[in-house]
Amino acid sequence: MSEFNIKKPVVPLPDMDPEPQIPEDELFFTEEELEQIERYKEKYPTNRSAVMPALWMAQQKFGFLPPEVMQLVADALDLPYAHVFGAATFYTQYYKEKKGTYVLDVCCSFSCQACGSYDVLDYLEEKLGIHAGETTEDGRFTIQEVECLGSCGTAPMLQVTNGPYVHNLTEEKLDQLIEDLRNDKMPPFTSVTLPQDEDEMEGNRRSDVEHTDTYQTPPETKRWI
Amino acid sequence: MPTITIDGQTIEVSGDKPLLQECLNQGVELPHFCYHPAMSAPANCRQCMVEVGTPLRDRETGEIKTDANGDPEIQWLPKLQTSCTVQVSDGMVVKTHRTSEKAKRGQRDTMEFLLINHPLDCPICDQAGKCPLQIQSYKYGSEGSRFEFRKVHKPKRVKLGPRVMLDAERCINCTRCTRFTDEVSGSCQLTINQRGVKNYPITGPGETFDDAYSMNTIDICPVGALTSTESRFKARAWEMSRTPSITTINAKGSNCYYMVRDNLIMEVVPRQNIEVNEYWLPDEERVGWAYERFNDERPEHGPEIRVDDELTPVSWDRATDAASNALSSVSSDAVFFLGSAHATVEDNYLLSRIAEHVGAEAPKYIPHVEPGHGDDWLRTDDRTPNAQGCERLGIHPVDAEVLRSRVRSGEIKVLYVLEDDPVASGLFTAEELEDVVVVMHYYNTTNKTLAATDVALPAAMVVETIGTYVNEEGRAQRVRPAKVIKEVNRTLMMATGKSRTDMHGTPFDRWHNESHQVDCLPGWEILPKVAAHLGLEFEFSGPKAIMLEVTEQNPAFHGATYEAMGLQGHRLEDVGETV
Repeated sequence: MSEFNIKKPVVPLPDMDPEPQIPEDELFFTEEELEQIERYKEKYPTNRSAVMPALWMAQQKFGFLPPEVMQLVADALDLPYAHVFGAATFYTQYYKEKKGTYVLDVCCSFSCQACGSYDVLDYLEEKLGIHAGETTEDGRFTIQEVECLGSCGTAPMLQVTNGPYVHNLTEEKLDQLIEDLRNDKMPPFTSVTLPQDEDEMEGNRRSDVEHTDTYQTPPETKRWI
Repeated sequence: MPTITIDGQTIEVSGDKPLLQECLNQGVELPHFCYHPAMSAPANCRQCMVEVGTPLRDRETGEIKTDANGDPEIQWLPKLQTSCTVQVSDGMVVKTHRTSEKAKRGQRDTMEFLLINHPLDCPICDQAGKCPLQIQSYKYGSEGSRFEFRKVHKPKRVKLGPRVMLDAERCINCTRCTRFTDEVSGSCQLTINQRGVKNYPITGPGETFDDAYSMNTIDICPVGALTSTESRFKARAWEMSRTPSITTINAKGSNCYYMVRDNLIMEVVPRQNIEVNEYWLPDEERVGWAYERFNDERPEHGPEIRVDDELTPVSWDRATDAASNALSSVSSDAVFFLGSAHATVEDNYLLSRIAEHVGAEAPKYIPHVEPGHGDDWLRTDDRTPNAQGCERLGIHPVDAEVLRSRVRSGEIKVLYVLEDDPVASGLFTAEELEDVVVVMHYYNTTNKTLAATDVALPAAMVVETIGTYVNEEGRAQRVRPAKVIKEVNRTLMMATGKSRTDMHGTPFDRWHNESHQVDCLPGWEILPKVAAHLGLEFEFSGPKAIMLEVTEQNPAFHGATYEAMGLQGHRLEDVGETV
């Protein structure tokens, strides 16, 4: 969470006596949403499995998942509240507190770390004037340090608000990204293939995406490490 | 029954349990943290790893292939297996860390990871001395750590609920506690928060861990992460002696250990008895008041008799003399004996014998039933440990209305109470008993009937005596002395020596402590003294002999000798309507 960093590794206790953050008259699921939850339930052998899509739906609706929303999901799925809380805290993609408009999830797992993700993180922190886990004052950006996003081939990388990935990060790319986001321009979905694969397949053959890219090994001087 | 070979030794196993349990049952120790026989096996501590192989079979004939020596060829699984999730099959060959360098290495390396963020604060940790992590890291871990960075700091002193305290740094995330609430108690109040190095068990925000069985998580926690809010930092594991006995808050007779230091009960922990309480104890049996009542000091309250309306300390001889005088001073139908569902079978039996000798009607007991308190598991509506034992002795619940009117009319002149509190239980008010001579065996100074008592005889409590209790289901179980009383009693001393071999010692031992000894006597010591003055000579050498006579004379107790009851109790036959 917010204060956790490698130099001062402290895991804080969640607020164990939280104030409700969603007004009581807004804290409900509509008929359609409840029907959707019913469909999720039918999809899985146990309700416990349906907790992921249900939480996701709740996050889309309320923007984030304060304890009262987790309780709401638990009630809708007839699950213990603690189970829902456990699942929600496991995934960084579920926002437990109010985040900025754009959440920059910088992957800091092994591959990215080896390719310099902490430098990416430091650069972003300095540029935006906040620490990982915090939100800028204007409520526009949040930086998060997250675990593996499954794109080790394009390390270092980040994800914008549970949406598109930005690959092969460099300082210029980050500057451009922040500039674009300030103008509310989301980065496009980009399909990246490895050069050796392209040799076999004659280039990136994805036709359903706007942007395709080929992985470029950064030149020695441009490397983050 | 499948036959498996462990480290070259061929053994027969039951086949319906995981390999780890089969090994433990055969006395082959394997290190483990997350596995618990009563719960599912998530295999997340990765400590119980062994090499597993099965005999190679010919694909066409299905015959087991053999090598040049005629031994079956073994196909080894390529990686180490967690034995808690391996199902045993016939002919399976297992190499533990005793014979396999690979398994030994695997265990050692996993242990190093487990200890990376563990604070190693054993010198101040309550679990030290009985900690599986500590023991197993001595036995199977590497000598030092290669981790030279800052350890992750997690919340400490988190009060999960009224009775359980969490130290998240010590947690190794075995998930035993969360599985306990999910699978055993069913309250589902605990979960694992976050992931990776940041995770630890906790309740959902705003939720309290107030499960009626919450303290069991303290026992199954393999490290010192969960401790009791009441007994933490009170006594180290090696300072306490432990006595196998049973709890007496309800009629379930859950098996427990009484942990004693300096003659004070410090803690009550569950003792395994699959027939009664499995591995668990309800919180009500082990919260502070449930054992602190044993520690009430009553040094100035030895035997007392009422002189000039004032309870005056006297010797045991004078007190028992006064008790028997009271009994013989009136006609037999003016005497009423109250047995007790708190007292042992032996004491109740002796009381019935005295009642019979005096010619009074058979004793009755005061029922302490609280409807709605039970939960069909380890809590019962009945708040006494021995109602079933009384019934089997022919001692039945007292009819409060009838007894009250008989006392009011002056018909009853002497009331002999065994180990109960008639005033506190609402049978009488102290004023109503003013004209009655009350002889009472009582447990401690908080007894409300003392104000109306004429002969007060302090009785040894369940932790100080030897005896038998019969639980709700008709299981006769023994209690053993955990504390020492002030009086020198050879039977008790011998029994204490046996039940507290670890710590008790003799008066000449350096650690021997004479403090907190109470001037009381067990019922089977007081009652024969009273009986002797009445001309009834009991010739029992001790409670064991009393119980032997009970089993011989009363078919409802058939077979319940001390030897048969042992540590796990003896199931008595149902006796139908009378019970």
